[in-house]
Amino acid sequence: MDTFLHLMNGGAGNLAAYLAAHVLLCLVPAFFIAGAMAALIPKPSITRWLGRNAPYRVSYPAAAAAGSLLAVCSCTIVPLFAGIYKKGAGLGPAITFLFFAPAGNILALAYTGSILGAEFAFARFALSLLFGIGIGLTMAVLFWRDDASHDAQTDTLFAGQADIGAAAIGVLLSLIAVLIAGTLKLWPLTATLGTVTLPLPWAEAWQATLSAWVPFDAAKGEEGVSLQGSLLILLLVLIGLSAWKGLENIVEGANRWTWVALGLAAATLLVAAMRLTPGPAGLEVALTGRAVAVGLAMAAVLHHARRLDADAWRAWLWEAWRFVKQIFVLLVVGVFVVGIVRQLIQPEWIQNLAGRNDLLANAVAVVFGVFMYFPTLVEVPVAHMFLDLGMHRGPLLAYLMADPELSLQSILMVAAVIGRPKTFTYVGLVALFSIVAGLSYGAWVDGADRAWIVGGLGTFVAVLVAALSWLLRHRAIPAQV
Amino acid sequence: MKTIKILGSGCANCKKLEAVAREAAASAGIEADFVKVTDMKAMMAYDLLSTPGLVIDDKLVSSGRIPTQAEVRQWLAA
Repeated sequence: MDTFLHLMNGGAGNLAAYLAAHVLLCLVPAFFIAGAMAALIPKPSITRWLGRNAPYRVSYPAAAAAGSLLAVCSCTIVPLFAGIYKKGAGLGPAITFLFFAPAGNILALAYTGSILGAEFAFARFALSLLFGIGIGLTMAVLFWRDDASHDAQTDTLFAGQADIGAAAIGVLLSLIAVLIAGTLKLWPLTATLGTVTLPLPWAEAWQATLSAWVPFDAAKGEEGVSLQGSLLILLLVLIGLSAWKGLENIVEGANRWTWVALGLAAATLLVAAMRLTPGPAGLEVALTGRAVAVGLAMAAVLHHARRLDADAWRAWLWEAWRFVKQIFVLLVVGVFVVGIVRQLIQPEWIQNLAGRNDLLANAVAVVFGVFMYFPTLVEVPVAHMFLDLGMHRGPLLAYLMADPELSLQSILMVAAVIGRPKTFTYVGLVALFSIVAGLSYGAWVDGADRAWIVGGLGTFVAVLVAALSWLLRHRAIPAQV
Repeated sequence: MKTIKILGSGCANCKKLEAVAREAAASAGIEADFVKVTDMKAMMAYDLLSTPGLVIDDKLVSSGRIPTQAEVRQWLAA
């Protein structure tokens, strides 16, 4: 019974820590940005670069951009992947798109950054981009015969032209400003502009109660629940309730609850951006530069959003709400389970297996990533757990590259579209390239000569590009045989 | 008698689209046969790059978004 309570406590503590201020300041804007990307960026503005006749120096970057900007959910990933492969730019760009989408989208990047640090998020982004294009090029080189045999179908699917409206760009940029203002750890955002002490005598006692409910061990890297955290959790529950009434039928128009939910979301961000410290005199509220910046950025969002037409902002709010429904619940459950599992894993196991940056450690990380399937974004708290338990950052990156890209589900889906031989090649390449990515990043962290790493990766891509352009120039002759 | 196809893998948007389409058909008093298409190959027969897609009498009328009931009624009347 004691063990059971101990495990439940681990789960609850982990969950509470993940609902802390810095995570919400990243996740809440990220959900709105993801919704805005899905609803406000017209797909033809990017897909027109993915037609059959696009040169490869255009189609590969465009495929990566599509993965980053358009594909936040599987509703877009699968059809767009099949469309690019069968009717558009071909196998290589389709693979680049498929590989980059789970790592390059705004939710994954923002969440990785807030949990594992900005440097790690950047490494994940840059190496996924590089190897996404690399794997796409390799597949195109290996299976070039197949692409050449595709008959010249009509290009209508990718012929549409569209531009992003000025108001939509304004909304996207000011939302990104909210995200940046909420997450950067820089002066003047961290400066304290003034403090007010609210006469709330129960504040200190409440903090003591919270610490008693969720005991934590700072030495093990655990975080407890602060008074601010408990306030934020309350606000989140209220948002959930009001959003259910206000956003479920947003497509047909807004109602009173819509504005309540949006107001609560804004309030959550402001509370998260302030610093609340319980003391003997009451609750000390510090107005930070961050709170001012977040407030200004949210005012900018409102200003631009008012210029969107009704269909556009309704679609935006619906997409944002849909992402919350689809991802947030699974994320909460996932974080809870990770907290429990963490109590059961001995740090020695992880340190022995993957505490160093060598080939075996990276291979183990990749195999784990392929065989385990976690819902969207849950791979990040899992990675955080491994990091705390002593995993080296190199194998950790290898795991983060392999896990969302490869799961049984995605392998089956890809096989249905491109067939088994290509799928197995793809899986093999992802495993191989993830190991290389892990080894490179691990060496970087360990302080190896950085010119060598960058030079080596650059040479590798240059060789692939040369191979592909050679094939493209010579493909006309063998294709007729 | 119209045939309405919902293209999509069963994600939240596809269910929402089906609900909107059903209500639109009912409110316009149009009898319609609803077909759910979940097979990727069958979906790719239509020119769409993201789900959910709405097909009325074998013509793709919208994809990648949820139309309003008013829009669906117009398409049904056409």
